[in-house]
Amino acid sequence: MILSLQTKSRTQAARLSLMGLSLLLVCTASLCLGAYAIPLENTLSILFNTLGLESSNFELSQANVLLQIRLPRILLNLLIGGGLGIAGAALQGMFRNPLVEPGLIGVSSGAALFAIIFIVFIAGGTSAGFLASLGLPIFAFIGGLVHVAAVFKLSNNQGTSDTATLILAGIAINAFAGALIGLVLFFADDSALRSFTFWSLGDMSGATWQKIPFALLLIGIPSALIMQKFKELNALALGEQEAFHMGVPVNQVKIQLLISSALIVGVGVSMVGIIGFVGLVVPHLVRLLFSADHRIVLPGSFLLGAILLNVADLIARLIVIPAEMPIGVITALCGAPFFIWLIFNLKKTKS
Amino acid sequence: MLTAQNLHYCVAQRPIVDEVSLQVKPGEMLAILGPNGAGKSTLFKILSGEVNCKRGLISYNDSGLKDLKPADLAKIRAVLPQHTQVNFPFTAEEVIQLGLHQVKSSKHAQILSEVIAITQVGKFRDKLYQQLSGGEKQRVQLARVLCQIWENKPFPRYLLLDEPTSSLDIAQQHAVLKILKKLTERNIGVVIILHELNLAAQYADRIALLKDGTLQKWGNVKEIMDEELLERVFDHPVQLIPYPCAAGCFVASGGFISANHTINQA
Repeated sequence: MILSLQTKSRTQAARLSLMGLSLLLVCTASLCLGAYAIPLENTLSILFNTLGLESSNFELSQANVLLQIRLPRILLNLLIGGGLGIAGAALQGMFRNPLVEPGLIGVSSGAALFAIIFIVFIAGGTSAGFLASLGLPIFAFIGGLVHVAAVFKLSNNQGTSDTATLILAGIAINAFAGALIGLVLFFADDSALRSFTFWSLGDMSGATWQKIPFALLLIGIPSALIMQKFKELNALALGEQEAFHMGVPVNQVKIQLLISSALIVGVGVSMVGIIGFVGLVVPHLVRLLFSADHRIVLPGSFLLGAILLNVADLIARLIVIPAEMPIGVITALCGAPFFIWLIFNLKKTKS
Repeated sequence: MLTAQNLHYCVAQRPIVDEVSLQVKPGEMLAILGPNGAGKSTLFKILSGEVNCKRGLISYNDSGLKDLKPADLAKIRAVLPQHTQVNFPFTAEEVIQLGLHQVKSSKHAQILSEVIAITQVGKFRDKLYQQLSGGEKQRVQLARVLCQIWENKPFPRYLLLDEPTSSLDIAQQHAVLKILKKLTERNIGVVIILHELNLAAQYADRIALLKDGTLQKWGNVKEIMDEELLERVFDHPVQLIPYPCAAGCFVASGGFISANHTINQA
């Protein structure tokens, strides 16, 4: 018995390290490929050189592209993809519903509403400076949080939040935000419309080193927090009352998970726009490939989300060289058919 | 000791549980019986701490329910609800392991193997929970809650079960109640909601009869096994037939057979 418990955790560790390795491979490939291809040996040489090891097997322009454009972009992909994955896993676990995705609690729509307000009414006046580069993310982030707070408040009844009401409140708020977005768009000019369209499909091209510390802080810390809640999420999988019976302070855990997820998704959406399907599909995939135990679902979702978003970004960059496809188009284009396949296949294995 | 004093719970001015007082000693099995809608499940939820009642006090081992944090409470009492749905593809063993949430990890392996042995779920421990039959699911859930309070502790623990036998065949019903009976030897008090009078008569130490939210009678099995009382509580003719078991009688609820007739035939 002791043996089987040990081997289980060992195979889990092996699976996670395998995923980590694939993430590393995808990142390396992503560093090399693009409109301006850089051979692998030059890439490695640039990386070693940055780390302090003398190596000069590259040109300066290659180093600039790699360090100033691709590396921050890949890191941002990694953090946001991972964050979306783990937030999706946490919310699905918390709602005990495999169809929940971060958008459902209103984060994305809230962020989108505030983003369009910023783009249409504020960004027009200030074209440069601090406000222009960080204003959009900050606005979108606040919007996401406001919406989650509203959804949570609506569903809160005498200190406990009912999950079904929470989802219904999320849908209602989403619809309301959609209408308001339409209203704001009515006043928008062509350029604002265009920039909102691209933003709402996900836009990775704005990745700069400037954004990395924010992402690291506001996605990394909540992700770590969620990852520690694997026991509570496992207990919640049986139901809220059962979790309470087993000693989980249910409401407290729910609030922690909700705020962490809102932070992650709000920051992610604010930096790169709306990226669909990652938060929905990734936790499913991990459960299908490994097990439903959140001990592996949570870190696995982070790694797989990071891998998928980097792959999607790579495709987005390669498919229409020298232009770029919005990444949200790629994730939904690949994600939707895959999801349909998944549902039908799952049905087959069940019956 | 698990003590409940003057519990009162209203929904829309209508009392669901009205002035109920009970005690459960460790090592004792208390069966709660009563017709549908008597308030059994509400009383059960109040006892488990899931629902706060407006008036009344509950204490586990002399500490008030309201002063206990969920984690501390979970070390003292485990609860088996009537239905538990699992939406994710957990295996049976993973579900059972969830019961070890508050238990030191060095004890996990031993507790797990003992509980799996006593509940006889070893055969399907690696199967997906969703694919198990109703009876198997129920036993897996029983194993889960047993894990939570299995470990011997210096203080008494309690197990609350809401109709654990509802989806089991007769062999399984008796198997489960025998496990529970054995559990009382581990300094554990058992509170169980039952519908089957005979199971209660055979296994319980005490019975509480509930009707319209009020406690009709509470006492030893022999005191409760009274035709008039049972008829009044269930609004249905009941006959007690002498039978060699703990309660000394068998409860027949088919009003159309006369007692004499049955005994003559036997």
